[in-house]
Amino acid sequence: MRYIKILPLQTFEVPIEAENICPDVFADLTLSQIGNLEVWEGNRKKIISDLFQVSGDDVLTSTKDTLVVLDGDFSRVKRIGENMTAGTIEAKGDLGMHAGNNMTGGSLQVEGSAGSWLGREMRGGLIVVKGNAGDYVGSGSRGEACGMRGGDIRIEGSTGDYLGEHMCGGSIMVNGDGGDFPGASNRGGFIVIGGDAYLPGAEMASGSIVVKGKARVLPSYQYQGLVGFQGMTLNKYLGDLADNGKGNVYAASIDVE
Amino acid sequence: MVKDVLCPFCGSLCDDIRVEIEDGLIVKVRGACKLGASKIKGHDRIKAPMVRKNGDLVETTYQEAYDRAAQILLESKRPLLYGWCSTICEAHKKGILLAEEVAGVIDSTATVCHGPSIIGIEEKGLAGSTLGQVKNRADLIIFWGSNPSEAHPRHALRYSSNAKGRFTEDGRKGRKVIVVDVRETKTSKNADKFLLIKPGSDYEIISALRMMVNGKGDVVPDTVAGVAKSALEEVAEMAKSAKFGALFFGLGLTHSRGRYKNIDNALSLVRDLNVHTKFMVMPMRGHYNVTGFGQVCAWETGYPMSVDFSRGAPYFNPGETAACDVLGNKEADALMAIAADPASNFPWKVVERMAEIPVIQIDPFENPTTLLADVVIPSAVAGVEVEGTAYRMDGLSLRMKKLVDSTSPSDQEIVSNIIESVRWLGHDN
Amino acid sequence: MIIKGGIVYDPANDILGEEMDLCIENGKIVEDTKEGEVIDARGLLIMPGGVDGHAHIAGAKVNNGRIMRPEDSRQYVEPRTKLLRPCTGYTVPNCYAIGYRYARMGYTMAFEAATPILEARHTHEELEEIPIVDKGALTLFGDNWEVFDCVREGDMDKLAAFVSWGLRASRGYGVKVVNPGGGECWGYGGNVSALDDTVPNFDVTPREIIRGLTTANEMLKLPHSIHLHTNNLGKPGNYATTLETLEAVKDIIPSRDRQVVHITHMQFSAYGGTGWPDFKSEAPAIADYFNKHDHATMDMGQLIFGSATTMTADAPLEYNNARLLHAAQWSNHDVELEGSSGVVPLLYLRQSPVNAVQWAIGLELALLTESPWKVVMTTDHPNGGPFVNYPEVIALLMSAPKRDEEMATLHPWVSSRAILATVDREMDWGEVAVMTRAGPAKILGLENKGHLGSGADADVTIIGVKPHEIDPSKDHHKIKEAFSRVKYTIKDGQVVVRDGEVVAVPQGRTYWVDASVPLKQAERLQVDLAEKFAKYYSIQQSNYMVQDAYVTNPEVIEAEGF
Repeated sequence: MRYIKILPLQTFEVPIEAENICPDVFADLTLSQIGNLEVWEGNRKKIISDLFQVSGDDVLTSTKDTLVVLDGDFSRVKRIGENMTAGTIEAKGDLGMHAGNNMTGGSLQVEGSAGSWLGREMRGGLIVVKGNAGDYVGSGSRGEACGMRGGDIRIEGSTGDYLGEHMCGGSIMVNGDGGDFPGASNRGGFIVIGGDAYLPGAEMASGSIVVKGKARVLPSYQYQGLVGFQGMTLNKYLGDLADNGKGNVYAASIDVE
Repeated sequence: MVKDVLCPFCGSLCDDIRVEIEDGLIVKVRGACKLGASKIKGHDRIKAPMVRKNGDLVETTYQEAYDRAAQILLESKRPLLYGWCSTICEAHKKGILLAEEVAGVIDSTATVCHGPSIIGIEEKGLAGSTLGQVKNRADLIIFWGSNPSEAHPRHALRYSSNAKGRFTEDGRKGRKVIVVDVRETKTSKNADKFLLIKPGSDYEIISALRMMVNGKGDVVPDTVAGVAKSALEEVAEMAKSAKFGALFFGLGLTHSRGRYKNIDNALSLVRDLNVHTKFMVMPMRGHYNVTGFGQVCAWETGYPMSVDFSRGAPYFNPGETAACDVLGNKEADALMAIAADPASNFPWKVVERMAEIPVIQIDPFENPTTLLADVVIPSAVAGVEVEGTAYRMDGLSLRMKKLVDSTSPSDQEIVSNIIESVRWLGHDN
Repeated sequence: MIIKGGIVYDPANDILGEEMDLCIENGKIVEDTKEGEVIDARGLLIMPGGVDGHAHIAGAKVNNGRIMRPEDSRQYVEPRTKLLRPCTGYTVPNCYAIGYRYARMGYTMAFEAATPILEARHTHEELEEIPIVDKGALTLFGDNWEVFDCVREGDMDKLAAFVSWGLRASRGYGVKVVNPGGGECWGYGGNVSALDDTVPNFDVTPREIIRGLTTANEMLKLPHSIHLHTNNLGKPGNYATTLETLEAVKDIIPSRDRQVVHITHMQFSAYGGTGWPDFKSEAPAIADYFNKHDHATMDMGQLIFGSATTMTADAPLEYNNARLLHAAQWSNHDVELEGSSGVVPLLYLRQSPVNAVQWAIGLELALLTESPWKVVMTTDHPNGGPFVNYPEVIALLMSAPKRDEEMATLHPWVSSRAILATVDREMDWGEVAVMTRAGPAKILGLENKGHLGSGADADVTIIGVKPHEIDPSKDHHKIKEAFSRVKYTIKDGQVVVRDGEVVAVPQGRTYWVDASVPLKQAERLQVDLAEKFAKYYSIQQSNYMVQDAYVTNPEVIEAEGF
């Protein structure tokens, strides 16, 4: 395992775009070359070593065996791990927006919380967040037919709104609450929410959403009966019938009025 | 007396105003509603450009103000150029060019208004028409989360509930008006049917209506968010049996829980209705040229709002690049506010950020944003002192007249001059 | 400027592959010049600048397309440079992309296909923003209440007066007619499906509208004929309507040396079968008609696989598209008193049986029609596909092997429901020059475009292939590449593209037609208009017409009128 540590040299206010912080990009480069990679601070083009300290092993290896550790506050650093296909990124603290965009493999681990659009249009790989995540986890870009198509996202805290919007595949597990409109416009995929959710599966065509806490269910969903899931008894619904959907929402308890 | 004047206030963009001018001053405004008349007649203006020195705003020359503004924008790593809704398209074009040159973010007041509607349109498209089509054909009008009696006072008579047209010679008598809102309003008092719903329940109500329109009403429970199913069935039936229905929606839908999902669902509802009859939908745009900014921005950049030029090409992601986002997330480190009053209309968290960063204000009138500004540049009033283009809420463009002279430069002149200063002072990127 | 030694194809002047010098002075082609830049074009292919006779590039429905398709704007993004503004988009590019990309392909003029008079101001605002190319806009008349009233009353004088007025009000170049009658029916959700259907409330038929506007067009002696999008477009079996439409105007004498009707994007109107299951190409029947008659011209409307955004003033068609394809997005925009439009994003797939046949139809129309002067090359941008794919179409027309290669990747219906596989014809350089330059210029009545004779505008394309050395049939890849980024594009005698890069961004001219009518007719017309504005329009008449401020670089073409 090649170990590379990235440490911010300052507190960032204007956001940083660092799509080059990615095992795929680092694998073929020495630490010095990594330091010369392009990174953006707002509208200023910079190089990584202007803003970060790069340290670790200087022996090149495969993408798969590259481990990038983000040590410090990366809450304003966007697009980390974009397009990654293999390897590991470990964020010791928070991570900014668009982490793991278009990911197809590898693993992204966040000790703190992650910003919005985590795992946007993900196709494979694993994302684990110990804290909370923002809005649009595993969703698509505006206008895109599909968001997440594959891979796994696990959030131990809660998420913001529009979780897994336009999801076409893959799975998202949230221990805490799932915000407003999780699984909106879905055409596949599997979402499990440990806490509460508001109007899950709006316009869903297919897929499954499990809400272990309380769900407010749309009037366009049809009750199907009770089912068992992981030792719990859940209310099963079919919908979103307003759009001839054939997805399922399973909720432990229902918010009425 | 100047006839056929366009009113520079709301998205109705009435073009039949008559203005009496004597000795280069406006003395009387006829035919406009109170809001428009007040705007055209005008009120206290900012007298001269000002820059803040040791905490106080001090008068200066226009050139110094342009240079100071340019300096602020050049030093900034994430400047936001915001507002645009109360000025003409000619200024918008300059603004977009300036945003490109300083590699900043540009956004309009749609961020606090119909931005969610744009996102809804990106999901579903918009089944719309010009307002005259409604006047001539509509026998059913629905106002959802919109109170035109107060916000668009002449809309009903010129275009909607009370308008008389070719196939609607009976005007109001030949139409049914439905109002959906969370409280009674002046508009609801004049409706044939008022559907009172709970705040934040719009999405569910719309889903229920869609089920009924689509013939699946039996799935819908007996009450939806506290509203009786029978009341919803009545509305669905009225909508389906109209010859030409028109759904106008306002901030009640865009600002309540669900935001763009509400619009998304409303657009789907109208699409579902088109299976049965002719139906159109239109956002009740607030300011008279916020629509214009969206049009200009779309043809120049590919996107109608919230465009980020930081990396040289347009990037669009409302939720990240909208004005409220870049200010609320404390990303923006400089703000140019033009033809809008963000200090009055933004959430508190956002206004907080405004207080922390340099602010350039371009406006004819003093307002709360002036208190936070570091550079203040008075401009001429577009549509009164400057002629140019505006787009009505239905996307129709019209040319606003110049009625009287002004001692202040126009918005587009000001922005052009700032661009000149930016080029002169150089860009280090 | 002197362009030396190029192999020139100027079919309008019977020059087909002559090695000759071209001289340019003051923005015009001249016999001789002593001064200026010398461009060494030895052995290289030279044609007049391209003329796009039909594309949706400016106005309300184009912008609606942009607004509803942020995902399209994320494609083909080009950041700003010192000279160029940023570019975005593929099917609905921004204004700057449109100008630069046409220029890179050697095109120097483009026409916006359909403008409602009420919203022409918007069209011109966008045209003003498109750099380099000269442009014009065709004005919609086929679903207009005043047109209906004149046609019903048989009042051709007033109709001609209205057409003249409408062109002035919209600063339009020609008369556009789209699914006549259907747009009005769509005001209440209906449509027409036959030439003799009656439009409710107005008591006129599509046939009468078409004949009326054709008559008015010729009374005014407009440079272009009427430009017609047929009824029943997009429906299996519609070729019959198309043939009936062509017959319906053949007795009307054109006022100029040109066609009396131009049928646009004919591919969408050349369908056989009775439904989608037995859908097939009837391009041979259409081509056969064109081979036997001289009163009509057409443009292809060629399909390009991949993403497209359909946008047309045929609003009921768009609604049906959306329902048929379960399209996620559908936009509609009715224009009071003047018709309507719709926008639906689409994906054309090689494995779709219908799309495969549609693709074949466009090519069959061009290859089976003997005279290239009757067929303009278009894709009905962005309905059939984006205009940046014109080089692909050129290569397909010039290379039967390329067509075979393509057909091998398509659904088998391309062979069973169309006859393209049996067509050997390969267009030569002269024919391509006609279909993309000389032909459209003649059809549109543009005297100084599409040719390189003395007095023509110095719009020249130098393409990086040597026609005497290359075999387009075999080396079609090179043809496509060379036409995608030409060696030189010269506009009004100025080099605007060099080696495929835009090097100058002059503003093009906006062409519009001013036709005179007798004062008495104009006054009679005003009575009607005053009533319509007082009672039906939502704006005041004085605010209606496009003002000078929106056409800052006009080229006014006078039409004799009556």
